[in-house]
Amino acid sequence: MSRVIEVPDVLDHKGFEGLLRALNGATEGEPARLLFNAKHVRWTSPYGLIGLLAAGRVARERTGLAPSIEAPENREVRSYWERMDFWQVAPEVYDVEPQATRPHGSSDALLEITPIRSHHDVHAVVERVRERAATILLNKLHYPRPSVIQFSVLLSEVCQNIIEHAEADGWVCAQTYKYRERLGGRDVVMLAVMDVGIGFEGSLSSEHSRRHGERWSAGMALERALLHGESRHRDPGRGQGLQAIRRQVDRWEGELAIRSGDAMIASPTQEWGDLEPMSTGLEIFPGAQILVVMPARLEKD
Amino acid sequence: MPSAMPEIAVASLYQRYLVTRHTGRAVRLSVEGLVAELGATSLTVLDFGDVAVIDFSCADEVVAKLVLRAVDEETESSECFFLFRGVAQHHVDPMDSALRRRGLAAAAQGPKGEPFLIGDVEPAASRLWLAVCQAGAARLDDLAPELGMDEGDCGRILDRMCARRLLRRDGQAYHSLFYTFAEAERAGNE
Repeated sequence: MSRVIEVPDVLDHKGFEGLLRALNGATEGEPARLLFNAKHVRWTSPYGLIGLLAAGRVARERTGLAPSIEAPENREVRSYWERMDFWQVAPEVYDVEPQATRPHGSSDALLEITPIRSHHDVHAVVERVRERAATILLNKLHYPRPSVIQFSVLLSEVCQNIIEHAEADGWVCAQTYKYRERLGGRDVVMLAVMDVGIGFEGSLSSEHSRRHGERWSAGMALERALLHGESRHRDPGRGQGLQAIRRQVDRWEGELAIRSGDAMIASPTQEWGDLEPMSTGLEIFPGAQILVVMPARLEKD
Repeated sequence: MPSAMPEIAVASLYQRYLVTRHTGRAVRLSVEGLVAELGATSLTVLDFGDVAVIDFSCADEVVAKLVLRAVDEETESSECFFLFRGVAQHHVDPMDSALRRRGLAAAAQGPKGEPFLIGDVEPAASRLWLAVCQAGAARLDDLAPELGMDEGDCGRILDRMCARRLLRRDGQAYHSLFYTFAEAERAGNE
């Protein structure tokens, strides 16, 4: 008999919090096989989609059993999951039949779900996405030409965060949308990167927790890393990646959020967005979950 | 301190995509191997002309750590200089950020050969450095009046730039690294 986790019908960064509440509830007490019921999902963002993989991975670690998953009934959502290669990656996490892999680039995704396990994967992602990123950033977001390289740098740095700090594998994916409600139909690129490793609090604690004593928390670790460029290394050359990402997203007037442990920090934030500069007391979840939103420029230069 | 004409080398970076710390470390080790084969005084040119992307982590490993080592490992008998060639605008941000975090600076040349400094440099030092680059080689008593600077201040800044491996001193003259490279090439110090 499986315990059922109802996947929120809107699976974005907010829906992900609901998913974690359900997951934490379902993994209390005696371990049991879990079923993620995604039948009623109506909308999924890249963050929500790899969030489902991250939640499934944690379910598997907590119960010792591969969870199962019910696919969405909504045709558009099902098609989106397929285009993003969800079912190609899912067998690493869920008890589902392996799917034949297809060449990347055969869908309209900016970047299909891609596991990040080593620096080779980061190289592959950066090289593979360049052409598609150029088309989307220049033609849809109307960004200037240098943004194509800046996006590659951003992608490389967020993915390296997994390799350098998570001590676990992770995933990355990106897609374009129209933000109808908030930005009057403007296009946005949404990039999500997640792992279920040691998280920011764990990564920075050996170097910083003693200094901050009882005030040390996931929120403070995120603040030290994102706002002050601190890392677990004493080397002053380390820790600049996240700050560079933050500066770049700010130049694009976008949003950056990082969730880790029971906290989420967002900087920069925008008036059209719904991210709080700092949220604490969230559901505890391992690793780090990063969201980048890049909106189209209003006018072409 | 007078220095011998350096041995010169041009290092290939092997990669179009200089991304990840791992890759940066591998590239730096290969450049360090090349430098180790040169004489006690060396000038190594790293050509970024074919580098499509460099990220911040890689810039720290390749650019900042090479310059750091050159500055830190100064001895009476050895000097290492680095010159970054073909540095386009999209390379500058990661390289500049990596150097600044360590309080370092480096001499660079753009795709059209224009000289510029990247990293942590005072405006007065930057002006002096450009004046030396324009002259190729210049003496303190020429530079100070030309820039309207006090000779003592000017000398201190120039010597500090030599210690930071942005210029090379030969007797009473301060040489730009571009001039040094051209001179060494003429002398067959390859």
